[in-house]
Amino acid sequence: MKFILTGLSHHTAPVEVRERLAFEEKSLPDALSRLTKRPGMVEGMILSTCNRVEVAVTAEGDADARESVENFLAEARSVEPAWVSPYLYHYNDQDAIRHMFRVASSLDSMVVGEPQILGQLKSAYSLAKEQGTLTGFLDQVVTRAFNVAKRIRTETEIGSSAVSVSYAAVELARDIFGNLKGKRVLLVGAGEMAEAAARHLSRAGVAEIYVTNRTRSRADLLAEEFGGQAIDYEGFSNMLPEIDIIIASSGAPHYILTTGSMREVMSRRRNRPMFLIDIAVPRNIEPAVNKMEGVFLYDIDDLGRVVKDNLQTRKNVAEQAEEIINEEVQRMLVRLKTREVAPTIVELQEHLEHVRSAEIERLRSKLGALSLQQEEAIEAITRGIVNKIAHAPITELRRKANDPEGIALMGTIRKLFRLGEN
Amino acid sequence: MMADTSTFWLRVTVLLYAFGLIQSLLSILGRKTNFYGLALAMFRVGVVLHGVAIVEAAMAHGQLQVENFYGTLNICAFLVALLFLLVDWKYRFASTSVALFPLVFLMTLVAQMERPVSTWSDERMRDAWLIVHIILVLAGYAALLLTAVSASFYLVQERRLKSKSTPSMLEKLPPLGTLDKVISSSMGFGFVFITLGVICGVLWAFVELGTSWLGNASITLSFITWGLCLLMIFMRVSAGWRGRKAAVMALVVLGCGAMTWIAHAGLRPVLMP
Repeated sequence: MKFILTGLSHHTAPVEVRERLAFEEKSLPDALSRLTKRPGMVEGMILSTCNRVEVAVTAEGDADARESVENFLAEARSVEPAWVSPYLYHYNDQDAIRHMFRVASSLDSMVVGEPQILGQLKSAYSLAKEQGTLTGFLDQVVTRAFNVAKRIRTETEIGSSAVSVSYAAVELARDIFGNLKGKRVLLVGAGEMAEAAARHLSRAGVAEIYVTNRTRSRADLLAEEFGGQAIDYEGFSNMLPEIDIIIASSGAPHYILTTGSMREVMSRRRNRPMFLIDIAVPRNIEPAVNKMEGVFLYDIDDLGRVVKDNLQTRKNVAEQAEEIINEEVQRMLVRLKTREVAPTIVELQEHLEHVRSAEIERLRSKLGALSLQQEEAIEAITRGIVNKIAHAPITELRRKANDPEGIALMGTIRKLFRLGEN
Repeated sequence: MMADTSTFWLRVTVLLYAFGLIQSLLSILGRKTNFYGLALAMFRVGVVLHGVAIVEAAMAHGQLQVENFYGTLNICAFLVALLFLLVDWKYRFASTSVALFPLVFLMTLVAQMERPVSTWSDERMRDAWLIVHIILVLAGYAALLLTAVSASFYLVQERRLKSKSTPSMLEKLPPLGTLDKVISSSMGFGFVFITLGVICGVLWAFVELGTSWLGNASITLSFITWGLCLLMIFMRVSAGWRGRKAAVMALVVLGCGAMTWIAHAGLRPVLMP
């Protein structure tokens, strides 16, 4: 049995290639069916996301599974095999297991530690199970990959820090206020990033989101999206003492919040902390505001730096995660090797039983009529002899199953007893 | 005879002012009550009786009682109370009551101690009273220690967020909002314990030592600590002192509390002669 993983990702292929090779969700059941019907294929699973397309298969016999998968990908996505081939990577057996574990744990992702890939892998697994294309070995590897990913998330801090600008803003808000429930947010302007940050804040449970924009209809639209309230652009400064978080992204060419205006706001809110996020270019809030007590101002570059620092932290944590992957791969191999010797043991027992019963049949005519007791005695003696002969090789096989010598020993026993020849 | 009546009215005044003290302590602990109206009414009656007590004392002695500490403290307490009522009447400036109710109460409490009472009826009562005083004050200092530690953490966390750096060790600190809540609670409990402890101590000293305790430096230090604690609470409640100012103030009060504790270490022989 061979385990092969073939695919391409953001590491090896540009987006033009990835989008050409990506499978539509509705086409996956048919693709899985065609994949596993190819000669030699036993199991198959397809993982298709915006950053990677991977085909994992188990195959038996002498068929060239790697070439077969390459051809499958080319046929399924209607491209020339020679065009796609340079972008593909191939992993076999142990390396394929390691790659599967790394993908599930998000170590191979564009943003290391992002949680989406595990969900995508689970969807690919569920679909393959539904289609009946995961039946044994591959099923075990993928299930184990889920456990490895969970272990890495639990034992390391790989996913603990924000790596997007909008989410970093939410994390900072949590550092300032703790619980965001009951906090009031004001969006000044309606940029895309401001929207994303507001969406995160809304999910975090803020009490109210107010939106103000020079174009009132745009403010109304956004307020409706977040279940918030649109307010007049001219009068928003009156509301500031009640606001805890301001996300400024207006196109104003000058500062709309200055130290002077903020001093009054802070006095009216009795110095309760205030978080100002200025993602506008040119900036909407005077930088000196950050020097005021209780005011925390972050502009787009500050948030970018936080994200960069967090990404570096994740890279450091990834080294720790790689050690866990190594350990888990070894553990998986041990389990698989134990599984590998089991068929040989069964075959050996069946082979010896076949020899025993054949010999009894051959001698029966020479022995003449036998009483029931004599029949039972011959059965017991021959079975005893066969068990004694089989005992040593079976014990040795089991003992060496987790050992590199185990595979050689298995080959020797198969050769000696001519197992699998018929 | 008139001096006796004056002392009586002053003691009734202290009882009336106690409503204001209770209102302040509940408010500092964050309890929302409808008690303020009653406390203010009692305070107003108290001020009237306070005035009566001062007039009676003046009539008894043929002059306004300003020749000793008790007399001046009494008049000072009366004027502070009167001023508070005037400001409240004109500007509805109720938030000052948080500091002024306890201040006026304590000043009047001390001012009415010019005439000592008879000594303890039971030695066990005397010791138990002292132990309660010590435990309350120590509980107050423990709460203030928590305030100072939380305020220091607040400063560090605030500095990290202001400087926009993300050193890993400091990321483990609680959010500013959480620290702020801890500071408010511990400061409130600290003040309540210390106030009750000071009241207990003053009453104990009044019975035990008559009037001789007033000049004692360690007791003066206790009042200074209490006063600073009151100021800290007032600045927090009225001006919203947070961050650096709150942390520095908490550390000063804690330092003062530690010095008071050291100064009072001589109490041990009183408990175990």
